[in-house]
Amino acid sequence: MNVFAQLKREFAAFFYSPIAYVLLTAAAVLNGVVFLLVIDFLSDPRAPHGAAMQMLFGGTIFFWIIVIVLTPLITMRSLAEERHSGTLETLLTAPISDVQVVLAKYLAAVGFYVVLWLPTLAYPLLLASYSDLDLGPILSGYLGTLGVGMMFAAVGLLGSSLTRNQIVAALISFGAIMVMFVIGIFDFLGGETSPDSVLHYVNLWTHMEEFGRGIVDTRHLAYYGSVSLFALFATVQIVQLRRWRG
Amino acid sequence: MIRVEHLTKRFAAITAVNDVSFEVSPHEVIGFLGPNGAGKSTTLKVLTGYHTATSGTVTVDGHDVFVEPEAVKRVIGYLPENVPLYPEMRVEEYLDYRAALKRVPRGRRRAAVDSTMERCRIGDVRRRIIGQLSKGYRQRVGLADALVADPKLLVLDEPTIGLDPNQIRQVRELIVELGKERTVILSSHILPEVEAACTRVLIIDKGRIVGQGRPTELRAGLKGGAAIIEVEVVDRGGAARGVLEGIPGVRRVEPGESPEPGLAVLTVEAEPGAAVRERIFDAAVAGGFKLTGLRVRSVSLEDVFVQITTTEEAAP
Repeated sequence: MNVFAQLKREFAAFFYSPIAYVLLTAAAVLNGVVFLLVIDFLSDPRAPHGAAMQMLFGGTIFFWIIVIVLTPLITMRSLAEERHSGTLETLLTAPISDVQVVLAKYLAAVGFYVVLWLPTLAYPLLLASYSDLDLGPILSGYLGTLGVGMMFAAVGLLGSSLTRNQIVAALISFGAIMVMFVIGIFDFLGGETSPDSVLHYVNLWTHMEEFGRGIVDTRHLAYYGSVSLFALFATVQIVQLRRWRG
Repeated sequence: MIRVEHLTKRFAAITAVNDVSFEVSPHEVIGFLGPNGAGKSTTLKVLTGYHTATSGTVTVDGHDVFVEPEAVKRVIGYLPENVPLYPEMRVEEYLDYRAALKRVPRGRRRAAVDSTMERCRIGDVRRRIIGQLSKGYRQRVGLADALVADPKLLVLDEPTIGLDPNQIRQVRELIVELGKERTVILSSHILPEVEAACTRVLIIDKGRIVGQGRPTELRAGLKGGAAIIEVEVVDRGGAARGVLEGIPGVRRVEPGESPEPGLAVLTVEAEPGAAVRERIFDAAVAGGFKLTGLRVRSVSLEDVFVQITTTEEAAP
């Protein structure tokens, strides 16, 4: 299948660019610092009872900085650069459909996002050598991280389809992702909110706290999935619209 | 091979291509000729499925571009203007990726990439990064990309732009060679290029086809098939023009720039055939002015082009 050829090229393209290494370093350093702080904090006898990995996933603002800031930087290049350099023309005149192109770009971005989190696998391994680990919450924490990342990557790709300028693409995506995040935060401001409220439904912070505790709520996953699908659908539409407008 | 019917493409307020119809038979090498901004590239972009037509139909190898874009794309090898490439990839790696994208089976890919590189003479840079290549090499990498899946139809948009004369000649030879076994459609605003490589020429101006035919036909059709003769005479009295105008078969005489004092150069538009030149010689002898030069100027495609595109401009 030639979609795999495209996927391979898209994934490899990340590593041609210096941005990839900056992102990988930034993520590794930030996660490392958070891990260190969390361990330090929990080592205090007066600290509340808690698991280190749970605090790593969404327990601190650092998690959100990594996800919200780095994801638009992963996707900014994707379609914007192809339009900027004109390679979109050779790509879209090859026997591959617009849907396949967008899908390959999306999966490659998600793949790179996964690579970004790979170094954190060292933490549970490290922790396991000192204490017993509850594997469930760790897995659900990673699941939530993947879900949020997939949603943001789809939004990022949409941002990249709107312009030929990578920086503008990153800013659009960052703005959109920020709005999605901040809307959820309003959930905390309303005092006692009902678990059925819309704000609660889109409150990413609470979502991640739950995933970190080992609660897999399919409503959250459905939210990520539907936003991703919508953003990808819109991206395909934008790509097709360009064929009409030039 | 290609059938274009009433193709129109509008961008907002601009009509780039206006009701264009033409056909291309298999194994033709078609030259798309026109000034910059005439609509050549836009037509090719619609043909290759990159742009969607505002109205009209385009059929390539029996498939409608709008209805079955992927079937059409599989038939076409396309080299866009400005040759977009991924600068960070290596030549060989890029061609291998493009071959895979164009569904060249895995087992044949290696051979396809190798033979294409050899054909386009880029084997010596196969391990080089595309972004570091010279313009000439990049152009040939783009051409190799267009060729790698062995397409039935080759669409080349300004294939020699930005190349030096030597490279232009090489690319032109390659196009002629390629035209022997497949259909080629190329666009250009360089006339000798089209004249050398193409079996048929379509002249496009302001989004419309304003002339078409074999290069020889177009030339013959110019100015009603007139021959252009340049006459150089020693003409101290200035009577030569009148004498030449009196010769039967001469339609028009235009004075040209004198190369040195006492000499006159006159451009004579006359009926084709040698008889007129004979009469010019006789008239010169009879009139007592010495003939120092007599040359038949071949009508170039450039004359055709200039005439057609400027006449069009004069029309409302």
